[in-house]
Amino acid sequence: MEPLYLACGALLLTAVLVLWRRELSVIIRVFALQGAALAVLVGVLAAQENSAELWAVAAGVLVLRAGVLPYLLRRALAGAGEAQRETRPLVNVSASLLAAAVLTLLAYAVSQPLVELAPSAATQAIPVGVTVVLIGFFVLVTRRRALSQLVGFLLMDNGITAVGFLTTTGVGLVVELGVSLDVLLAVLVLQVLTTRMRETFGGTDLDELRELRD
Amino acid sequence: MNLSATGMAAAVAVGLVTALLAVIRARTAVIGAGTALTGAAAVFAGAAALAGGSFSLVLPGVLPLSGVALTLDPLGGLFVAVTGGVAVATGIYAVSYADTPDLRARGVQVALPVFVVAMVLVPAAANVATLLVCWELMALASLVLVVAEHRRGPQVASAGRWYAVMTHLGFMSVLIGLMVFVAHAPDDSFTALREAGRHLSPAVAGVVFVAALAGFGSKAGIVPLHAWLPRAHPEAPSHVSALMSAAMVNLGVYGLVRVGVDLLGGGAAWWWLLVLALGALSAVYGILQAAMSSDLKRLLGQSTTENMGLVLIGVGAAGLFASFGDHTLAALALTAALLHVVGHAAFKTLLFLAAGSVLHATGSRDLDALGGLRPVMPVTTAAFGLGALAASALPPGTAFVSEWLLLQALIHGLPAGGVTAAIAMPVAVAAVALTAGLAVATFVKAFGVGFLARPRSDAASNAHESPFTMLAGMGVAAVVCVVLALWPAGILPAVQAAAGGVAVSGDVTLRLDQATGALSPLLLTLGLVAAVIVVAGVVRAVVARRVRREARLWDCGGGPMSARMEYTATSFAEPLQRVFDDVVQPELDVDVSHHQESRYLVQAVEYRRKMPDRIERRLYRPVLSVITAWGEAGRVLAPGSVHRYLGYGFYAVCGVLILLAVTR
Amino acid sequence: MSALGVVGGVVQPVLIVAGSPLLVGLMRQVRARLEGRAGAGAGQPWRDLRKLLRKERIAPRGTSEVFRFAPLVLVATTLVVAVVVPFIATESALDPVADLFAVVALLALGAVALALAGLDTGTAFGGMGASREMTILALVEPTLLVAIFALSVRVGSTNLGAIVSSTLHDPARVISPASLLAAVALIVVIVAETGRIPVDNPSTHLELTMVHEAMVLEYAGPDLALVELASAMRLSVFLGLLANLFAPWGIATEATPLAVLIGVLALVVKVGVLGGLLAAAEVFVAKLRLFRVPELLAGSFLLALLAVAASFFLV
Repeated sequence: MEPLYLACGALLLTAVLVLWRRELSVIIRVFALQGAALAVLVGVLAAQENSAELWAVAAGVLVLRAGVLPYLLRRALAGAGEAQRETRPLVNVSASLLAAAVLTLLAYAVSQPLVELAPSAATQAIPVGVTVVLIGFFVLVTRRRALSQLVGFLLMDNGITAVGFLTTTGVGLVVELGVSLDVLLAVLVLQVLTTRMRETFGGTDLDELRELRD
Repeated sequence: MNLSATGMAAAVAVGLVTALLAVIRARTAVIGAGTALTGAAAVFAGAAALAGGSFSLVLPGVLPLSGVALTLDPLGGLFVAVTGGVAVATGIYAVSYADTPDLRARGVQVALPVFVVAMVLVPAAANVATLLVCWELMALASLVLVVAEHRRGPQVASAGRWYAVMTHLGFMSVLIGLMVFVAHAPDDSFTALREAGRHLSPAVAGVVFVAALAGFGSKAGIVPLHAWLPRAHPEAPSHVSALMSAAMVNLGVYGLVRVGVDLLGGGAAWWWLLVLALGALSAVYGILQAAMSSDLKRLLGQSTTENMGLVLIGVGAAGLFASFGDHTLAALALTAALLHVVGHAAFKTLLFLAAGSVLHATGSRDLDALGGLRPVMPVTTAAFGLGALAASALPPGTAFVSEWLLLQALIHGLPAGGVTAAIAMPVAVAAVALTAGLAVATFVKAFGVGFLARPRSDAASNAHESPFTMLAGMGVAAVVCVVLALWPAGILPAVQAAAGGVAVSGDVTLRLDQATGALSPLLLTLGLVAAVIVVAGVVRAVVARRVRREARLWDCGGGPMSARMEYTATSFAEPLQRVFDDVVQPELDVDVSHHQESRYLVQAVEYRRKMPDRIERRLYRPVLSVITAWGEAGRVLAPGSVHRYLGYGFYAVCGVLILLAVTR
Repeated sequence: MSALGVVGGVVQPVLIVAGSPLLVGLMRQVRARLEGRAGAGAGQPWRDLRKLLRKERIAPRGTSEVFRFAPLVLVATTLVVAVVVPFIATESALDPVADLFAVVALLALGAVALALAGLDTGTAFGGMGASREMTILALVEPTLLVAIFALSVRVGSTNLGAIVSSTLHDPARVISPASLLAAVALIVVIVAETGRIPVDNPSTHLELTMVHEAMVLEYAGPDLALVELASAMRLSVFLGLLANLFAPWGIATEATPLAVLIGVLALVVKVGVLGGLLAAAEVFVAKLRLFRVPELLAGSFLLALLAVAASFFLV
């Protein structure tokens, strides 16, 4: 069961690193790593189930989450100009990391009933997925740059996908395909939006959007 | 009449006779000696009770309704012995320390032995009435002692007011809790309550426990009910601070263990999670405040909050393990907590007495104005150094052993209690660790800045060593500290008797009974001493020139360094203050004044830092302002006319009579 | 006390004392080569120590016994750790002291002695170094203890001998998530505790950045030799601890000359490799600002906590 847990550990570690690092290019690279870890996770499950469908999903996850999405993000970053760093998040980095510690414990506490429904090696790792979802949400709430918020959103999606695979061992190719396309679409829309925003307002610090209300 | 009864009788008799002797002229010596004797008798009584000789005594006629009932079991015996031990050291110390015009006053002198007797009687009380009467007597006597030096300034009176209000609110909370409890029992004796506690509904038991926790917790200085502690402890005379900080606060823990574990018989897991959480909060918050503090006695007072927090972590863990059904582990956690109570009493007595000695010699307790005391006050410096080592949980120290046991209990508790333990234990370990780390920084600051380096004021450079009795008082505490640090197994049987379970055994090496884990403080210290000797010997053999040449300090070529260039306590704590900026939220004020000729030449920089207690500001301010608003509104009723005031009474009497007439 | 324990208790301190300056020399050499310099050779620290020992002893004006005894205490604490920790043999000479908490506390005691010495000099440098060192120590403590917690959960004990033997018997446990996370957390802790980049720079003498060097600025001659030796020993001890907690292979389990020799060689190789990796990593990393260090430590604390969580939930 070790490879599965190692993949889960990598998933968790990359989520923490997204929280930890300020450099946006590093965050994107870490996000790509997380996509790869997720693909490994699905691959391990595929090897256990010996199902070709799951193998295909794993390959799809790898291409989309470790390839296409990071590529799109990097392009958005290249267009962003001077704003390459998450300089002043709403919650400082040390406090974010401690908050992540609390979120982890919370995730473990709330997912115990789920684990107990069908205790198996795969379901044991559900808390990891839930933690990634919570950390992603936290990034979404506390980061100022549109791009790091986007990564937070994608982190949540990675977490949800991981939980999905760990609970049911395979959501089915079609469902996964649909979700992935949704995510891709969301990213594209958001990217268009941020580009427009930058062209209009000259920056993507979302705190400044508050002025639009008046 | 057995030994513990004899000891208790002797303690009470000697204490009261001493109090009566306050009329004579040479009263400080007599009162000091009498207090020490009272303490010695209490130690004897407590030791006898711990050895198995408990007693019970009922005097029905002394108090109305239920009478006085005393009994001394091992749990009470431990606290009686600890109180007695602290009283011995402080009594000897007080012979010369209390020989000042303010402290020689009769009322103040009488209060000291009465305070000790009351503290000795609290753990021996065997019914609610006795407990509450002794509790109140203890509060009143200590209040008199806290405001003894009220001529020093308005801050003493303010501290006294805070203390009086908080201690009485705590008393009311205990009163309400115990009254609810007694209402469900045939009478108010502890035996009856113990029986009734088994059949109490969870809701009622929960109410009783929370009320008792609030009341006893406020006495123990637990956050958020700690507001009186950093005020009263620095303003009280130092020997009283020692008694309060090393003996009185323990009784809060005693009350909690007595009511929660003994009378209510354990209870739900959430009770103990609450205790654990409050303990962790108090430990971290207390030591964080202490790390920022530059007032020596205030720092020690805040460290008391920290240590009581650690004790509550142990008590909470013990209750939690017991609710999971793991009684060996519960005994281990409670043993760690009680051992910490004993160790804390020893080192806090020592530290407060040493701080009193500094205050006596320099008239200052501001660390930023101290320093350089080592050459002029060698004994006090050594005593404080020993106390600081004991307090900072480093190896040949007292707190190290108890914190080791506490950590072992927490670590082995992980598999015991499922998800609750899996979440509570790592957080508790982290809290204990952060507390230990900050305690090291705090006491390095207190000792290094306060006693080493060069004096930062004239008062510090003109200091002198304290008189013999004060040093002797410190000596007693120091010896106990050393014994506890090197041979904790010596008192372990007593502590385990009080904890009601055996989880650790061994004489030189402490071994956990349930798990593999061993620690030998004595071997560790011997190893350390041997290593120092070996290293010193090798260096002596290798080094060519043995005589040390005196040399100038590195002054960057700018001439001799003055004391103003030294790091102060405030500057020492600055990095920590920055790190915990969001938690403590200091109020900083930097004023830079320039020369008139040029804006580029700085004339003076003034840096002011205020460290208001944040929990206090958030929690107490609103309550106080509401009360003040009520008071303002109530002024309408008090125009100053005597007739009106008498009229209120008249109307009230008539109103009650009319109400009675109508409702009957 | 077994024969194996006695052998370990005698060989280990000798090895650590003799080898740790060589380790520092090796690390400087690796660094120098990576930076394109020739380097002074691995023996240079020993030559420095010899030179310092021959010099005159100095007592800076106004310092007390605390200043004079601190180097002795510092070396002594490290020496005790070198004796009791199972470095080359699984059994300890003083088993009741070979507890992870005790070892960690002993090493902290050495740091405290040095901080007090820094304050005792009464110079701004000494106070500054002491203040920074204590801040870092206080913040490292939670990570360290929680990481120890994670390591001890699977064994059920904090006894070092027990942890090492259990890893020897069940090597698969080393590549569990809990173990890996704890290892990363411990590496950060060790970097912080031994004053390496990015927390502290051992080769700087700039007042804005120095931590350890500021505390020991007043030491000269034989005292400085002791301080230098002790910091080299602390580094070796920490690296040895790391090596044996996660990869104890090669350690002697019986008291035969061959087993002990293999144990010695294994320790030398492991610590040498770790030191080389650390030195190589340092070339590519810049020193953090002092007030960024809490971020690093908060991160490693999170990893340690995750390690505990993983050790409980992912079993």
